[in-house]
Amino acid sequence: MSSEDIKKEKSFDIALEMKCVSKEFPGTLAVDSVDFDVKTGEVHALIGENGAGKSTLMKMIAGSFNDYTGDIVMGSQKVDLFTPAQSKKNGIEMIYQELSLAMPLSISENVLVGRLPKKGIFLDKKKIAEETTLCLERVGLGHLDPNLQIEEISQHEGQLVEIAKALGNNPKILVMDEPTSALSREEVERLFTIIHNLKKQGLAIVYISHHLPEIFEVADRVTVLRDGKKIGTNDISEVTSELLVQMMVGKSVADFYSYNSHAKENERLRVENLSRFGFFHDVSFSALEGEVLGICGLSGAGRSELGRSLVGLDERHAGDVFLDGEIFKPSHMSKAVDNGLVYLTENRKTEGLALRLDVKDNTLVSIIPQLSKNGVYTSNDGDEILTGLIDELSIYPPDPTKIVGNLSGGNQQKVLLAKWMACKPKVLILDEPTRGVDIGAKMTIHKSIEALAKKGSTIILISSDLPELVSLSSRVLIMRKGRIVKDMRKEECTEESVLLAANGENV
Amino acid sequence: MLKKNNNNQKMLKLIDKNRIYFIFLFVFLFMSLFAPRFLNVFNLTTVTKTMAMNATVAIGFTMIFIIGQLDLSIGTIITFSAVIGLSMKEYIGFGGSVPLAIVAGGLIGLINGLLVTKAKISSFIVTLGMMTVLTGVIYTMTGGNSVSLSSDDAFAVSDFLGDMIFPFITPRVLIAIIMVIAFSLFLNRTRTGRNFYMVGGNKQTAWLAGINTDKYTIITFVISGTMAGVGGVLYAMESAAAPLNLGTSSLMYIISATIIGGTAMSGGKGGVFKTFVAILMLEVLYNGIILFGLGNEVKIFIAGFILAAVVMNEAIVAYKHEKIFGQRPELIKELKQVQN
Amino acid sequence: MSDDKTIKEEKSDVRAIKVTTLGKMMNSFGIYAIAVFFLVLGIVLQSLGIINNFLTTTNMMNILDAVTLLGIVAVGMAFVTYSGHYADMSVPTTMAFTGIICVQMLQFGFIPALIITFLFGLLIGLINAVAIGKFKANPIIWTLALVFVTKGIIRIVWDNKQIYPDFIANSERTSDLFDNIFRYRFFGKISLPLVMLIILIIALDFVMKKTKYGAQLKMTGAAQKAASFSGINTEFVIGMAFVICALTATLGGLTVTSLSRVGYINNGVGYDFKAVTAIVIGGMTLAGGRGSIMGVVGGVLVMGLIDNILTLLGVGTFSQDMIRGTIFIIVVGLNAKSLRSLGRDDA
Repeated sequence: MSSEDIKKEKSFDIALEMKCVSKEFPGTLAVDSVDFDVKTGEVHALIGENGAGKSTLMKMIAGSFNDYTGDIVMGSQKVDLFTPAQSKKNGIEMIYQELSLAMPLSISENVLVGRLPKKGIFLDKKKIAEETTLCLERVGLGHLDPNLQIEEISQHEGQLVEIAKALGNNPKILVMDEPTSALSREEVERLFTIIHNLKKQGLAIVYISHHLPEIFEVADRVTVLRDGKKIGTNDISEVTSELLVQMMVGKSVADFYSYNSHAKENERLRVENLSRFGFFHDVSFSALEGEVLGICGLSGAGRSELGRSLVGLDERHAGDVFLDGEIFKPSHMSKAVDNGLVYLTENRKTEGLALRLDVKDNTLVSIIPQLSKNGVYTSNDGDEILTGLIDELSIYPPDPTKIVGNLSGGNQQKVLLAKWMACKPKVLILDEPTRGVDIGAKMTIHKSIEALAKKGSTIILISSDLPELVSLSSRVLIMRKGRIVKDMRKEECTEESVLLAANGENV
Repeated sequence: MLKKNNNNQKMLKLIDKNRIYFIFLFVFLFMSLFAPRFLNVFNLTTVTKTMAMNATVAIGFTMIFIIGQLDLSIGTIITFSAVIGLSMKEYIGFGGSVPLAIVAGGLIGLINGLLVTKAKISSFIVTLGMMTVLTGVIYTMTGGNSVSLSSDDAFAVSDFLGDMIFPFITPRVLIAIIMVIAFSLFLNRTRTGRNFYMVGGNKQTAWLAGINTDKYTIITFVISGTMAGVGGVLYAMESAAAPLNLGTSSLMYIISATIIGGTAMSGGKGGVFKTFVAILMLEVLYNGIILFGLGNEVKIFIAGFILAAVVMNEAIVAYKHEKIFGQRPELIKELKQVQN
Repeated sequence: MSDDKTIKEEKSDVRAIKVTTLGKMMNSFGIYAIAVFFLVLGIVLQSLGIINNFLTTTNMMNILDAVTLLGIVAVGMAFVTYSGHYADMSVPTTMAFTGIICVQMLQFGFIPALIITFLFGLLIGLINAVAIGKFKANPIIWTLALVFVTKGIIRIVWDNKQIYPDFIANSERTSDLFDNIFRYRFFGKISLPLVMLIILIIALDFVMKKTKYGAQLKMTGAAQKAASFSGINTEFVIGMAFVICALTATLGGLTVTSLSRVGYINNGVGYDFKAVTAIVIGGMTLAGGRGSIMGVVGGVLVMGLIDNILTLLGVGTFSQDMIRGTIFIIVVGLNAKSLRSLGRDDA
C-alpha cells in the first residue's frame, strides 16, 4: 500500500485528534501546542507528573474551557468543544477524579439521569431497574440493588457507577482521570477487565495516570507530557518504565538545585507504628534536627493523611509520636502549633488561605496566640515579622494589604509558606509546597526551605515534584497504599529510582 | 460475622429512612391507649380538619427543601391570600376572590424564584425580605384588623366544605389528601418529578445532564407560593376569618413537619407524603396533649423539641460520617483480619 | 539571591485592583456618609415644609431611643454574621424570654433577678454554641427550632399571661429599678440604654478588632476550613459568637421589657430581621469575615433615620415594613452580587 493509503487507513481509525492545542491560565501556559490523538478500540495512556497538563488537556475535550486554541478534529471534521453539552453531543464522556454523583439519590437515578424510562407519564420502575442493572453489569456491579443510594455504597463502587453512567450515554470516547488512586488490587483488576471489554466494543479510551505498572497492563499507546508540552507518543511495546520515567522527568534541572544537607545529630521527631485506620497503618520513621525528609508516593498513598494526623487535624488510632524525646499527642491542632509542629496543606485555595483576606491577615493567623498578650492582639506587633517574611520570600506585590485572592499562584503559595515560617516551627510538614507555582517562586521557596533547615527546623517534604524532592531531601521515604515501603538515602535517590519505587518496582 | 453486621446495618438504615412512619404509629398508638376520648369519631374528625391547611402548604415547602432552598415567606403568603380571599369577596364574590388569592400566592412565589435564580440572591435573604414586605402589605390592606365575613356569608362557606363525606373526612381534608397523593406520585413516579430531586442532590450534575435548573427552581417557588395561597384560602373559608398572625405559627409548624418527616434542607431527599404523615403525627400529638389536659403550650414546646432533636441528630450523623470518609477498604480489611 | 534577578518572577494579576481598598473604606465610612445623607434629606424636607419637627430635640431623642434598642441587639448579632453563620433567628424569643424571666425573678430582688436572667441568656447561647459550633447544625434551622422550644416553654410556664413587674417585685424599689433600666437618664438627657450601647460598642469593637478572639473570628468567617487548618479552634470561636449574641439579646430583652413594663412573649418581635438588615446595610457581608461594629452602628443609624423620616412623612408602620423588606433584598442582594462578580463571595 502507498503511504497515503496507510495514512487514510490510520485516519479512519482515529476517533479524535487534537492539533496544536494550547490553554492558558493567568500566569501559566498549562498546555503548550500539543498534538494528541486517540483511535477507536485503543487505550491511550496520558502520563506525566503533577502539573504536566494532563488533566487540562482532557478537560479541553470535555468542554470545560471556551477559550482553548488549536483544532480538535473528529471524523475529519473540526468540532468546537467549548461547553460540556457540545462535548457530550460529540460522544465524549469524561470521568473525573472527584465523583460527580448526587449523594442522596439512588444509583439508577444517577446513572439514568435525565432519561429515566417511562410508561406514559409515569416512570417504568421495572425498566429502570433493568436498564440500570444492564449498565451496572458493564462495570461488574450487576449484583448491586439499583435502588441503593450513593451514600450507601463505597467510594470505589461509586466510581464504577460513575463509569456506568458515562457508558450509558454510549460514548465514542471515554476519558478516565486517575481512576485507580483509591482502589485495591482486586478492584483495579476488575476495572481493567471492564476497560478491556470496552476496547473490544470499539470505544476510544484515554487513560490519565501516573501509575506506571498499570499503564503497562492496560494501555496500547502512551503519551508523555511535561510542563504542558508533549514529549513523545509511543506504542507501549516500545517503552520501559525507565524510559517513561526519563521522559516524564526530563533532563535534570539539578544544576539549579544543589542543596546541602544541614542535618544535625540529634533526633527531633520519632514516629512509631502510627496508624489511622483506613488511611495509613504502622508508619514508623524518625527525623533529625535540620534534616529535610522527603516522602514520596502516588496519590492515595496516605501521605497527606499522615501529615494531618501528625499535627492533630485528623485523629490517630494507634502508635506514638515523640517530639524532642517527649510524647507528643496534640488534642487539637492549636496545641501542635504551640509546640512547633505545623502542617502546610496541599490545597492552598480551599484549606490554606482565606482568599478574601489580605496578605497580613493570612500570614499572621497562626501566630495570633503568640502575638497576643492576655487576649489582646494588636496586629501591628506582627508587622516586623510580616515585612521580614515578605522580604525573604519576595512576595509580590510587597504590600501587606493586598487581597490574597488576587495574587498569582506562586505568590499565594509564598504567603501560605510565610504563615508557617512565622511560627518558627521545629517541624514543618510541607505538602506539595510548589504545586502550580512558577519557576521563580519555586526557587525562592526552595531556598527558604533550605534556610529553615539550616536554622534547625526539621522539614518533612511531601511532594510529587521529583526534582524538588530529590534535590532537597537528605532521605526519602516511599509510601505506598498506606504504608512506608522503603527508606532511601540521598545517594540512592534519583528521580527515576524514586518514582519507580513509588510505583512498587524495585522495592 | 460481617454478614450479620451488614444486615443489621441495612435494617437500621431502613428504619431511619422511614422513621416518620414509626414515629406516627407510636404516637397514634400511645394516644389511643392513654389519651382520654381519643379514639372517637368526633375527636378524630377534629384532628383531620385542622391539618388540611398545613398539609397543603407543606407540599410546596417540601418541594423547596427537596431542591435545596429555603422559603421563609410561606407564612405571610398564607395570611396574605386569606385576607384577599375574604376581603375581595364583596367585590367579586368567592368565585373571583378565591382564584385571585391563589394566583396572588403564585405570583409572590414567582418573584421569589426570579430573585433567587436570576438575581442570584440567596433564598434565605429573598424570602426573609419578602416576608417583611408582605407583612407590611397585609397590615396596610387591613389597617391592622383581622378580616372576617358577616355571619350569613360565613355560615354558607363553612357549611359546604365542612360537610363530612366519609367519617373523619370533610371535602377540605379530601382536597388536601388528593393533592398530597397527586404531588407524591408526580415527584416519585415521573421523570420530571425526579428531576427536582436531582436539582437538589447535585445541581451541577443536573445541569450537565441537561436539566434546566433555573426553570425547576422558579417553578418550585411558584408552587410553594400557590400552595400557600391555597392553604390560606382553605383556612379562611373554614373559619370565615383571617387573623393576622395566621401564617407565623404555620411557618414553624411546617418547617418542623418537613424536617421531622425526613426531608432535609440539603436537598435531594425526603418526600411530600412523609411530610404529610409528619403533619398527621403532630396533629395527633397535639390533640392527645390537649386531651390529656395539658394545653396549647405543651404542644408547641414538644413540637419544637422534636424538631431540635431531629436537627441535632442529623448534624451528629453528618459529623461522624466526615471522620471516616475516604477510608481505603483493603486497609480496613487487613485490620479486621489482624484483630481476628 | 542573584538568581531572582535573572529569573522573572510572576507579577500579580491586573485584577489586584484598588477596589478592595476603596471597598474597605466604603464599608467603614460609606455607611456614615449615607447616614449623613439621610440627615440632610430630613433637614431639606423640613425646610421645604414637607415634614415638620425633624430637627427638634424630641425627634432626635426618639431616633436615638429606637436606634439604641436595635443597636444593642445588632452589635451582638454582628458576631454571628461575622463568623459566616448568617444570623441568629432565636434573638427575638431570647429577648422576650429573658425579659419575662427577669420580671418573674423580681420577686427575689433586682440584683438576683439580673443575675438569673443573664444565666439563662448564657444558657441559650451555649445551646446554640454546641449545636452550631460543634455539631455544625444549620444555623437558621436550628435557631428557628429554638424559637419554637422557647416559645413553648414561655407558654407552658406562664400560660399566655403577661406579667407585670409592679405586681411581682418584692418591693417597690425593685420594681422602680427595673423600670429604670429603660428610663434612667444621666444628666436628665442621656438614657441608660444609650450608655450601655456606647459601652457595648466600645467593648465589642475592641473585641472584634483588637483581640486574639476577634482576629481568629475574622479568619473563621472568611474561610472556615482554612481557619481550622491554621490551628484555630473554629468550634469554640463560632460557639462564642452565638454566646455573645445571646447575651446582647438578653440585654436588649431587659431593655425592651423595661420599656413596655410587661413581660410579654412578643417583646422583641422583628428584631431578628431588623438586626440583620442593619448589619448588612452597615457593610458586614453575610458570607462572614468582613465588616465592623462601627459599620453596624452606622447601619442602625441609617435605619433609624429612614424609619423616622418615613413616619414623619405619614407613611404607616406597616408600609415601612414593606419598604424595609425591599431595601433588605436590594441591598443584600447587590452586596452579594458585586462580591461574586469580583470572584469572591457566596453570600
